Order: sequence, then C-alpha cells, then structure tokens
Amino acid sequence: MRRADIIVGTGLIILSAWFFWYASAYRKATIYYYGPNFFPQILSIMMSLCAVSLIVKAIRGDVLPQEDRIDPKGFIRMMVAIGMCIGYLLIMQVIGFAMGTCVFLFALMTFLGYRDLIKRIASSVVSSLIVWAVFRYFLIIPLPTGIFSFSF
Amino acid sequence: MGCALLIPFTFGLPPVQGLLMLLGIFCGGIYGGSISGILIRTPGTPSAAAATLLDGYPLSQKGMAGKAIGMSTIASFCGGTTGAIIMTFLSPQIAKIGLKFGPPEFCALAVFGLGMIITISGRSILKGIISAIFGLMITTIGFDPLSGVPRFTFGSQNLLGGVTFVPALIGLFGYAQVFRNIEKILVLPPVKSKVENILPKFREIRSTLKTIFKSALMGTFIGSIPGTGCDVAAFITYGEAKRSSKHPEKFGTGILEGVAAPEAGNNAATGGAMIPMLTLGIPGDAVTAVLLGALTIHGLQPGPLLFRDHLDIIYPIFAGMIMAQFILLIVGLSGARVFARLINVDRRILTPIIFFLCVVGSYAMRFSFFDVGLSLIIGIIAYFMEYYGYPVSPILLALILGPMAEQNLRRSLIISHGDPLIFFTRPISTAFITLAVIVIITSYYRIKRAAEREAHRISIDRERDEKNEETEI
Repeated sequence: MRRADIIVGTGLIILSAWFFWYASAYRKATIYYYGPNFFPQILSIMMSLCAVSLIVKAIRGDVLPQEDRIDPKGFIRMMVAIGMCIGYLLIMQVIGFAMGTCVFLFALMTFLGYRDLIKRIASSVVSSLIVWAVFRYFLIIPLPTGIFSFSF
Repeated sequence: MGCALLIPFTFGLPPVQGLLMLLGIFCGGIYGGSISGILIRTPGTPSAAAATLLDGYPLSQKGMAGKAIGMSTIASFCGGTTGAIIMTFLSPQIAKIGLKFGPPEFCALAVFGLGMIITISGRSILKGIISAIFGLMITTIGFDPLSGVPRFTFGSQNLLGGVTFVPALIGLFGYAQVFRNIEKILVLPPVKSKVENILPKFREIRSTLKTIFKSALMGTFIGSIPGTGCDVAAFITYGEAKRSSKHPEKFGTGILEGVAAPEAGNNAATGGAMIPMLTLGIPGDAVTAVLLGALTIHGLQPGPLLFRDHLDIIYPIFAGMIMAQFILLIVGLSGARVFARLINVDRRILTPIIFFLCVVGSYAMRFSFFDVGLSLIIGIIAYFMEYYGYPVSPILLALILGPMAEQNLRRSLIISHGDPLIFFTRPISTAFITLAVIVIITSYYRIKRAAEREAHRISIDRERDEKNEETEI
C-alpha cells in the first residue's frame, strides 16, 4: 500500500496541476472575478495539499494495511467480461437489443462456469425479453433494432 | 422518472386521485430504491438509497437481506409518517424558514453536508477527502451554471450537460460490484439469506427508535429547504447517526441502525419536500417539480392561495401522504421474504443479469451509449479505488452537493464583493457553519477513538490466542 500511496499521490499532484492550468483559461471568459475558473482552481489546490499529505504519510510508513488483493486470474476474467460487454454494445446495433442481450447473457453465464444449459437459456431469454417488453411497451424507450425489420 | 411517466395517466382522473397516484409513486419510489441497494448494491432510486446500501449491502452479504429490508420498511414507514404529519400541521411555519435561505445559507448547508465525508470515509479520512475532492472536480465538467462557459468538455457535446448523475451512480456502485463479483466468483462463498428471520426483532426495532425519529425530524427539515432533496437528507442523517452512535466503528460493516437512519431520513424528506411546493409553489427537488407540473395541469395554482381556495384538494393530499406510508409498510413487509430470496440465486446467473441491468440503467436516462461507456469507465475506476482504500461514497456526496456548493459560494462572493464574512454575518449560515465545524471535530475524535478501541481489542484477542497456543503446546 505504501508504494501505491506514493504513486497515487504523485499522480494526483500532476492531475491537480493540470486541472489548475486548464481552468486558468476560463478566467477571461467572464467579467466576474469569481468566474468559472474559481472553483476548479480551489479544488486543485485542495487536492494537491491532500496528495502531499498522502505522500508524506506513506514515506513515514503511516499507511493502511491492504485488506484484500486483486486476484490475477480473476482480474483477467473481469477484463474478458468487460470485453464481452463492449462486444455486446457493438453487436446490439446489428442484431437488435433483445437478441444481443440473449447472446450476451448466455455467453457470460457460460464464461462464468454455469453448467445447467436449460437454466442458462431460460434465464437469458426470460430476463432479456422482460426488459425489452418493459422498455418497448411501457416506458416507450427507443432501443437499437438492428437489421431486423420487426424491431426485436 | 416514475412520476414523470405516470403524469399522462392522471389526465383523465379527478385531480385528487391523480395527485394521490403520483404521491404514492413518489413515496414508494424513495422506499423501493433501497431494496435493490440492499440486495445488489445498486440503488433503484437515484441517490436516495445510496446511503442505505452502505450498511444494507453488508447485511445482505451476511445473509440478513430480509432483516435489512424489514428494517428499511419500518424506518421508512416511521420517517414517512413523521414527515407527512409535520407537513400536515406545520407547513406554513416551516415554509417561512425555507424562504430565508439565500446563497450564503445554501452554501453553508452544502458545507455542512460535505462535513459528513468524515463519517462515511471508512478506514482513512484523508482518502475519503481525496475521493470527495475528486467528485467535486467531476461536478465542474459541463456548462458553468453562472456564466454558461463550457468547462473540461474537450469538445464533446455529450459532456456539455456535465457527468450525468445516474450513470455515475451505477458506475460507482453497480459496475464496481459486478466487476468485483466476477473477479472473485470462484473464491466467494455463496450467500444464503436466512428467510426465517425476515423481520427485525422487537428489541432491535426498539434500539433504533431514537435514531429513526431523530433522522425523521432532520429529514423533514432538510427536505423542506428548496433545492435540497431526499438524497441530501439520507446522507446527513446517516452521518449524524454514526457520529452520535456508541459504536461508530460498526457503521459500514452491516448494522441495522445504518439502514434505519438514512431510510427514515429520506422518507421523511418526501413530506418535507412537499411543504415549499404546496405552500410557496417552489419545488424542493426534481420529483416535486414534476408534482408541481401535475398540479398546474389539473388547473391548480400551488402557493398560499391553494390553502384558501382548495382545501378540498389539500386535505386529501395530507391524508393520502399518511395512507401511502401504511400501504408501503404492508407491501414492503409482505414482499420482504420474496425480495430476500433473490440473493439466493446462483452468482453465475445473477451477476450477468445485474451486469445487463447496469448497462440498461445507464442507457435509459438519456438513451445514450456514451453514458454506458462513461458508466463503465467510472465503474473500473471505482473498482480500483476500493482495492486501494479510497471510499466511493464521498464521490457520490460530492456529486450531489458540489453544484450547490459552487454556485452558492460564487453567488455569495459576488453579492458581498468578495468578502467571505458574508457567511458569518447571517444567522442561518453562521449556524450551519458552526454545526459543520462541531460535527467534523466530534466525528473525527469519536471515529478515531473507536478505531483505537477496535485496534486495542484486536491486539488483546491476538495476545490471548497466542497464550492459548502456548498452553496447548
């Protein structure tokens, strides 16, 4: 945690310096002294002060013990799931919301290791159809229809 | 959203019935949002239930989802009823206090609310403050409300309106939890909800009654200030409950008091928010703004004249608010058993469905895939933040209070020509700032003392274990 705090603290100092500099461009935008740059610049000063205290505390060894660590295999699993979600958002534009959702849910359940095929199919089809029907007929929210003319 | 959607359905109804239908949705929505917050760490109602999940979700992970929902229902009922009764009898008097709020008072109120960061920061107050400043920085994205200058938008039209609240909320809590569940899916033991203990015991309810009624009174007052809402009330009451508790270190680990306080507070704020809307025609938050619209659609003009000319509408509204709490109690308690069973569904089925609901939830607000992407990115940031000890709740508090703090700080300084003493020359703002200082200092020392006590207890336990091991050898 000590090294992480120093790295995060340094990152936050850079972020606040950039934020301060970027916000200074808004000063000319209005006639008020307390213009659009005022609040962001105050925040960046406060953030840099906190970041310095974080680094000082970390150097002194005053850090929290890390309660939990990222499991490398689990992290890869998570990244794959995010990739599947991005794929789902793209494929939804082609095959429509309901079908895209069915495919996504089925694929993710399979990827997470659920074995029962019937339950996988049933839960992915039922949950996507329920949400699709609520959105389409009750809330009347436009959803991607894809290439199918029947707006599924 | 529920109220806005149902307005067209009330056109054909008589005014009283139409308004009562919307009031029912308002009260039910504020309560119902906590159920998904407790079960899957994603509040159903934007922000109002965000404080409830701080203790509600850990409770459900301990297999006490039913008990958490039961406590949330009872606290909501007590809070909502208190708010409705205060609204019935004291509306005009409270409205007068609300009218005295100008920019310095609102700024001081926001500072008071932000003071609660200390209590929701978890293990490190410094990291909590860093999270809150990060959240405040996010609120500066988009059009500046005073000058209209776009800030930190990098030419993106999607960012002109700022970071939308709902996708940010879903990212911070929903996605972050989904990612954590997927990462730990092979490690985490399955949660089994103890369905037989569905209701909190009488002893447990009695021990939280003081917190519930204190939160209800605070919630009604906060809700009655125009511009604040149920979300602010929930966080302030949670913070106060933790500050004044004998065991503040247990907050956040899953205790019933941590569910009771914000639920009583946010439901009491529904009655409070109705006060300025009915008496002055000023909406307290977004939902009361919709209700205000509904009143005008039905040909009624909210304000003092409503009390003189339309008592036939006002009294049923008062009675309806109280009735809504009873219905909420019946529905909530009878449904708690069913809701609690949801947590027993296999994680490998439930997690993909929650993932999908997060995608849908972040899309539905503006029908925007940009929001889905933004929400995913916020979720990834929140996932890493939690691992490195940065609490995400202060970000949410900052997103709620940031715009109020900035606008009113600048307005006040413009009015006073840059003199910061304006905050100390007006009684209400001075009172809020004094309260904020007292709350911050006392919370800091109480939490520090509780942490020391906990550390001492752990070291004694460890010594005892070591002694036992030596004797065994």
